[in-house]
Amino acid sequence: MLVGALFPLNHLGHYLHWHFINVSVANTTVMILMIAVFVAAVALPFPGRRERKGK
Amino acid sequence: MKRRYRPDVDVPEWTGGHYPYDILKEGTIALVVVLLITVTLSIFFGSPDEPAITIKAWSTAAPIDYAQTAFSELNGTSGTASYGAPYNQGDSQRLGPLQLEKWMGVRIPINAAQDFVLGPLQSLPGQPALTSALHTFQTASDATRNAWFDAYTKAEATMSFAKDQVVVPTTAAGPVPLMINDLTAMARSGALDQALLTRNSFYTTNYTQTLLLLSDGTYLANVAQQQHLLGTQWGMMNETGSYPGQAWLWLYTLWYQVPPYSQSSNGDVEVFGTLVLLSAFLLFVPFIPGLRSVPRRLGIYKLIWREHYRDQS
Repeated sequence: MLVGALFPLNHLGHYLHWHFINVSVANTTVMILMIAVFVAAVALPFPGRRERKGK
Repeated sequence: MKRRYRPDVDVPEWTGGHYPYDILKEGTIALVVVLLITVTLSIFFGSPDEPAITIKAWSTAAPIDYAQTAFSELNGTSGTASYGAPYNQGDSQRLGPLQLEKWMGVRIPINAAQDFVLGPLQSLPGQPALTSALHTFQTASDATRNAWFDAYTKAEATMSFAKDQVVVPTTAAGPVPLMINDLTAMARSGALDQALLTRNSFYTTNYTQTLLLLSDGTYLANVAQQQHLLGTQWGMMNETGSYPGQAWLWLYTLWYQVPPYSQSSNGDVEVFGTLVLLSAFLLFVPFIPGLRSVPRRLGIYKLIWREHYRDQS
């Protein structure tokens, strides 16, 4: 049985417009999340490091 | 004599310890995490579900736009009819003195009048008036056809659609009004979609002709504009609805927004040339003195491997 999504996004999107730059809110959200993941990847300690140091 | 160490070219041999690392384990964990995120997001937000635009949908929603486009295919003034390679002989975009499309030649030959108008009409069975009109058109001289085209073009501005008929107020266009009217009826019935799909092969997955015909009208562009999908709207990056799109294509679509690319009739090939140049630049970074030192001077690697450098100091 097919069920619909809880919050479907099939309606027209919102766009941010500044000079010649025109970017959707959805794309901006994804870009911010990607930057956040990159910062987290650099900032968080590498897993397993402490375990290796103990060996 | 020992050669001087060059920091961005020479690679010193690692003399420290080694640890085992299970890359398959890491890959499996990444796959499972991405799978879980994908399933969760699809449960919450669904996925783009825009109905396909067909010739039937177009000609039903905008019959006059369809009829005008069909006429432009017949008289050879449409975008496809005059596109050039790979579809037909015509002037293609230029990158300085180079015409890259012409190098590839006409690989997908399209005769707009034959493929989009005459061919489909010839496939309609049991229509004596249409058969006669087609015979009249095909046996007429070029001068006669051009006179019909001129008359139809003049009347086109006041074209209307009533009672399932395309009404063009002219009597000097020969068989053209009947042909365009019958083709519009064929399009509205859905038969033209089938005719364009199945003409060249048994397998109906080649939508080239359907898409070219759609792109010659204004209906597709209007729908695309509403959805922010036009090239001038950074459309390459966008998706239908409110879904995120292909954000990684920002560098390609960026050029289409700024002069001289945005105002050039050779915009596509100029953007292509620019991207080739930038890609070559990126490819040769390790060989460009100064630029290849940037990562070392920025020192982000020291942040990533900070525990190693802390242990060293």
